[in-house]
Amino acid sequence: MSVPAIETEGLTKLYGSARGIEDVTFSVEPGEVFGFLGPNGAGKTTTIRALLDLHHPTGGSARLFGLDSRQDSVAIRARLGNLPGDFGFGRQASGREALRLLAKLRGVDGLGRAEALAERFHADLERPLGQLSRGNRQKVGLILATFHEPELLIFDEPTSGLDPLMQEEFLALVAEERARGCTVFVSSHDLDEVQRICDRVGIVKDGRLIAVERVAELLAKTQRRNLVEVEFAEPVELEDVCAMPGVVGAEFAHSNLEQVFLTYYSEEEGEA
Amino acid sequence: MTQVAALVATHLSDRRRSLLAWGLPLGLMSAFIVAIFPSVEDSIGKAVSDYPPALREAFGIGELANVEQYLQAEMLSLIVPLALGYLAVRAAVSGLAGAAESGRLDVLLSAPVSRQRLCAAGFLATAIELAAVLAISYLLTMLGSVLAGVGLAAGSALAGFASVWPLALLFAGLGIVACAWSLRTSVVTGAVAGVLVGMYVADLIGKLDPGFDWLRYASVFKYYGNAIEDGIEPIAFCGVTVAACALAALGAWLFDRRDLSA
Repeated sequence: MSVPAIETEGLTKLYGSARGIEDVTFSVEPGEVFGFLGPNGAGKTTTIRALLDLHHPTGGSARLFGLDSRQDSVAIRARLGNLPGDFGFGRQASGREALRLLAKLRGVDGLGRAEALAERFHADLERPLGQLSRGNRQKVGLILATFHEPELLIFDEPTSGLDPLMQEEFLALVAEERARGCTVFVSSHDLDEVQRICDRVGIVKDGRLIAVERVAELLAKTQRRNLVEVEFAEPVELEDVCAMPGVVGAEFAHSNLEQVFLTYYSEEEGEA
Repeated sequence: MTQVAALVATHLSDRRRSLLAWGLPLGLMSAFIVAIFPSVEDSIGKAVSDYPPALREAFGIGELANVEQYLQAEMLSLIVPLALGYLAVRAAVSGLAGAAESGRLDVLLSAPVSRQRLCAAGFLATAIELAAVLAISYLLTMLGSVLAGVGLAAGSALAGFASVWPLALLFAGLGIVACAWSLRTSVVTGAVAGVLVGMYVADLIGKLDPGFDWLRYASVFKYYGNAIEDGIEPIAFCGVTVAACALAALGAWLFDRRDLSA
């Protein structure tokens, strides 16, 4: 049996009395694309920072490639690529300077793959990063995270700032990385994007993981429960459908992960 | 070692403008002071001889009988050590708190680099930057001496400028310790700059009033003598350098134990 790429057990991070994450337990198998969903402040970035040893857990544990996230942090980071949520590298340095430094730190000879990625994402590696727009900086961040062909990629809101064409290019890149055997852990707000690329998703709310399931199963489960696709012989107004007994909402879209996500959230609110 | 060398090179490249921004003004000012010495020699000598001895000793003024003493009084007793101490704090803090604020720290620590190595590289780069700024200042000062024909002794001036290096480096070490407490550049720089000025004032008070001599033991300035006249005191030079390295090591140890977010 293969060692999980990521495995957390009761991972907890508290900031004094303030909540970070609490009792987060999940695992990500090698070669899997795992989505981490939740609104702002739910605990997605805190979880990622704990995995990367940027924040030290106050409880529980995290293991990557079977190694302890605290004790073996340097060895772990040699095998992964990370795109932080708010990528920056200072104002003066150019993308190429950042790449050269990262290549030296990682012991990578040559920037051939980085050049190819820069061409693919139309990234400007020559201008100082402080002069680039958010989207163009994000492209450089993507290249820095992926140029060394890591075993595990961690993306925190990877497509924020990217235009739709580049978002599509990113999704294609993730598919290629998966085909290469790379594990991908992606935190995102874009539920449509997660639905398209992820094998499984974890939904985090108020610092707690409230669901971890395969995307297809989540969709099927929710559809069985309370989502019915109805075809009318005549065009109807949504207000008329909503007015029917027992109907709480209606829309013209197909069931998607966004609905599942909102369903989980509304259920939790109801239980609270 | 390759990682530290790469980090040091990047740190110095990022701060290349500061080498000139600090080295040129300090060097030109020193060169000016040296160059005007012949024209002010008589008047300033008389004025200073009227100062109370304690005041002269406090500011390291001495007799002002030669250009070396004048350079010590005007530049090396106050302006250069305080300026270099502040530069040291800024340089050391930029590699940690500054990097955290810009997002660079997250990127660097996504690579297989330990936090201790990052701190060591920042400290080493700061040591090199300080040496380079002092070298530029020294060379410009000697140039001013040659052009004005005042005969500043090269060896004495070198000792005077070199003696500032460990003193300034100590504040780089303190800067790294402070980054383990906060990763906000303004907070850390302000706090350590406050310690720098506080130590200077403590030393000054101790010199002015023998009753407060004990205050000087709380200040690194006690170990900063008058190297341009007396030569470098090896024990003080090495001792302060070791203390600076020890502070940097303590800072790295503490930095490894904190959460990283600006």
